[in-house]
Order: sequence, then C-alpha cells, then structure tokens
Amino acid sequence: MTKLTFERPIIQRINAGLPSKYGMAHKLEPVSHIDGVSIKSLLESYGSPLVIISESTIRKTYKTAHRAFSSRYPKVQFAWSYKTNYLNAVCNVFHQEGAWAEVVSGFEYEKAIANGVPGDLIVFNGPDKSREDLSKAIKNGSLIHIDHFDELYEIISLSKESVLRPKVAIRVNMNTGIYPQWDRFGFNYENGEAWDALNRIMASKQLDLVGLHTHIGTYIMTTEAYKVAATKLADLAVRIEKKFGQALQYLDLGGGFASKNTLRGAYYPGTDTAPSFDDFAEAITSALMSSEIKPDHLPLLILETGRAMIDDAGYLAGTVIANKRLADGRRATIIDAGVNLLFTAFWYEHDIRPVEPVSEQSEDTTIYGPLCMNIDVIRGNIMFPLLKKGDHYVIRRVGAYNNTQWLQFINMRPNVVVLDGKGKPHLIRKAETLETINSQEITPDHLAKFDL
Amino acid sequence: MTRIKKNIAISDSGFVFDPGTGDSYSLNPTGLEIVQLIKSGKDFQQVLAEMSIKYEVDPESFERYYYDFTTTLKQLRLTESDGED
Ligand SMILES: Cc1ncc(COP(=O)(O)O)c(C=O)c1O
Repeated sequence: MTKLTFERPIIQRINAGLPSKYGMAHKLEPVSHIDGVSIKSLLESYGSPLVIISESTIRKTYKTAHRAFSSRYPKVQFAWSYKTNYLNAVCNVFHQEGAWAEVVSGFEYEKAIANGVPGDLIVFNGPDKSREDLSKAIKNGSLIHIDHFDELYEIISLSKESVLRPKVAIRVNMNTGIYPQWDRFGFNYENGEAWDALNRIMASKQLDLVGLHTHIGTYIMTTEAYKVAATKLADLAVRIEKKFGQALQYLDLGGGFASKNTLRGAYYPGTDTAPSFDDFAEAITSALMSSEIKPDHLPLLILETGRAMIDDAGYLAGTVIANKRLADGRRATIIDAGVNLLFTAFWYEHDIRPVEPVSEQSEDTTIYGPLCMNIDVIRGNIMFPLLKKGDHYVIRRVGAYNNTQWLQFINMRPNVVVLDGKGKPHLIRKAETLETINSQEITPDHLAKFDL
Repeated sequence: MTRIKKNIAISDSGFVFDPGTGDSYSLNPTGLEIVQLIKSGKDFQQVLAEMSIKYEVDPESFERYYYDFTTTLKQLRLTESDGED
C-alpha cells in the first residue's frame, strides 16, 4: 500500500461574518510550468533562486501594445525603457520587435550602443547627462530630451564647437490630475517655463527642435491623465508651428502605464484595475487626433512603456527555507529570495504561488526573504498553502525594475534564464560569486594580513 | 504530555468549538487526526507511530510539525497544562 502525502497539521481561528477581502478565501493554484517548461527542472539545472524570463510573453505583450496604438494612429514608435530591465537579451528582444532605446544615463546610453542600436534611434532622457555624454549624443544624432536650463545651455555651448546640429526635445512636466505631480523633471507647462525653454531653443538657431516629451508618472491607473498630457503636448506643438512655422517630428508620451501587479494596500487586484493598452491608446490617440495639429503634420507618437511591457514576462522561482511561528502564533515562511532580489515587494503585493500541488488548506502567513533584516518581507498576511522546507514557489510579474534595482546585499544575485519561443532555456546572466564581488576590491598592503 | 481540554468540542469534520471563550476553529485533516489521537491519550511516540504507518513522512519532519502544532494549540488555550511546564 502506498502511503498518503503528509500535510503539516494546522488549526485556524474561524472569523465568523468576516469574509476575506475578495469574498471567500480562495485557493492559490500552483504554477508548475512556464511556457511548458517545468519550474522544478529549471531550479534543478540553474539553482535556486532563479529569475526566469519568457521571451514569448515579451513578444506577445509588445505586439498587443503596438497594435493598440498603430490601429488608432498612423505613426507609432516604441522606445524600450532600459532602466526597466536592461539585461541585454531582454533589450534585444524589444529591438528585434522594432523598439528603439530610451536611456537615462551615460551608462545606459553605452549599453544601447553596445547592443547595436543606431545612435539616432536612442532617446536620451534624464537629469544627469555629462558634457561627454551630450557630446557623444550630438555626434550620434541621438534624440536629446532636455531636463533643465543648465543642460540646455551646455548643449548650446557644445553646438558652438561643432557643425553638427543637436537634435533636441524638452521634457515637459504638467498637472494631469494625478498625484503626486512629477514636477522635478523637465520644464513646467502651466507656469510657462516649457514655452520659455522652447523659445530659447528656437532663438539659439543652432539646435534642431524635433519633438516634445513628457513622462507623467508611473503605475498610472487612469487613462484620463494621458488624455490631458497628450492635449497639453499637442497644444505646445501647435503654438510652435504657429509662431515659428515648424512642425514637430514627434511627441513622446513617456511610460507609466500600470502593469497587472497589485499595489500594496489596494482593495482590488491589479488584474481587475489596470486599464488595457487599448484603453491607454484610445485616450492618447483620440486627444492627438482631435487636437489642432494639422492632419498632414501629425507627429510620430513615441511611447516609452516600461513596466506594463515586461512585468508579465518575468518570474522569480525558488525554495522554501523554513517555517516558524511568530510571537502571536501566526505562521512565518522564509524563502530564499528577499527584497534584495525583489525590490518591487516594497510597493506590490506580489502574486506568489506554490510550484508543487497543494491541498485546499491555507494559513495566514507572512512570507519573509532570507536576509537578516527586519524589512525583508515579501508578503505580509497572505492566505498561503502549507509549504514545507524544500518546497518551491514562484513569484509572477517581476519583469520590471527588479533586474535593474536588485542589490548585491548579504547574498549574491542568482542566474537569469530566458525561455525562447520553443521553451528552451538560455542562461543570460550568470549568478554572481565571491570572485565577482572581490574582483572590484583592492586591499592595501598594510591591510592584507592580520593575526588573530 | 499534551492533553486537550475536556470541554472542547471537536466534530468529525475538524470543526472545533471552545465554550469557554466562544471561539471556533477549523483543523485540517492531519490536524484533526492528531488531535483525536491526543484525545485518546496517545503520547508523541504513539502518535508518530500511527501517523508514519499511514503517511509518507520522516520522523524528524513529523516531530517538527507536531511540536509546532501542539504549541499552537497551547497558545490558543485549547490544551491543559499538566504541571510539567
Ligand atoms: C523618462 C521615462 N520613460 C519611461 C519610463 C518607464 O516607465 P514605466 O515603467 O512606468 O512605464 C520611466 C520610468 O520611470 C521614465 O522615467
């Protein structure tokens, strides 16, 4: 006779009349495979924890986003927001799909160039561009999005040293009805600063004003804000054309679309609340089409969609280290990935699932990472199945910002694999080792030895 | 040895009612089996022996889960202290 699988015994208080947030507690269904590939087998081959990226999901998401805009507007261009995920393999999937690069530092700029992106297809954003960065960008004909007057004057000064005409746009910040208003980047629309900057650029006669840019914030759940943003950029474009007789080549609406992740403390899950690409596209393109821009001068619409483009494609899988009881009797489960790898745990209630089959039982659990730090919480108070030491978990929708903001802190960063269209895994970033870290350090001779 | 308080009502479906506090609880199937074995006067070794026949579980893991579980029962004041602790 084969024995039954053992589930650890539990007892839970019944809170009569207090159903959970979403009605009755629902079972967290296991996720055992990604694109048909067993997560357990990937963990066996590449170690635990492991970042797994689905190439098919990236391509599918990109195509959906592109179709949403291109079916409503004649000229659409996506630029991949490098800071959202700048693993080269990931960037190149986007470039293969036709996306340009959007970068916000000299380092990201170099990365895009090294990946083979032509310089004139790089959008250079951000408040920190050194004179050297700017000079390179001018030489390559990149699209420089000016953040402040100091940068504008630096570019004017550089333009005097060369015959090349820098291609510039300004970043515009504005009130779109959302809070917080990101007014620290670019020039303000409402107080006339943006208009002043545009006049200054036109007066210089040495710069080519090619577009206008805005990025109104991130994880925006209302399409209305984009309607306002598109309307205000269109208004500036119309005024430029009126005053200087010059039609702008593009309007760049930035990124910011909410992904399907659930914000911490949100009442409804993100899968229910995030507008679709079609919703965002409808808001933006209808505002542009109904603006006073002449139909034969409609500018290229550039989008720098980050999180909504890549979140779904990323998974973080790993192993349960231990279970314990907190002082108040609640369950604590410790897993081998913490906020060092999952920076976004600070703002999302991540969708974490068991990999192996589980019973109907679940228990009020706090899921901790492995760091010896109180802040290392992956999920507080989640009704979670009864995983044992050695069982596996997978966290969904972690593709955005984690592979760029992760920390080498206490532990090393693990392997990253991409599953190609046929489900074949490819290692795209090797796990760090002690040598990786130590290779950057130099110990002075007098500190090289000690006697204990 | 752990003993379940005599006034605690436990149904066959794992529903537990504490008339002293009015609180109710639910046990999962293994939790229910263990409580029933404890109620019938079995100590840890005897519970382990019975459960190992039926379930795929090694003694070390079982011991961990057992003591975690009985500690929870104690925290919920469903057990009697027998003066040992
Ligand atoms: C200028 C710019 N463009 C695009 C993005 C991507 O934003 P998101 O991931 O919210 O789509 C960002 C992120 O903050 C940004 O600063």
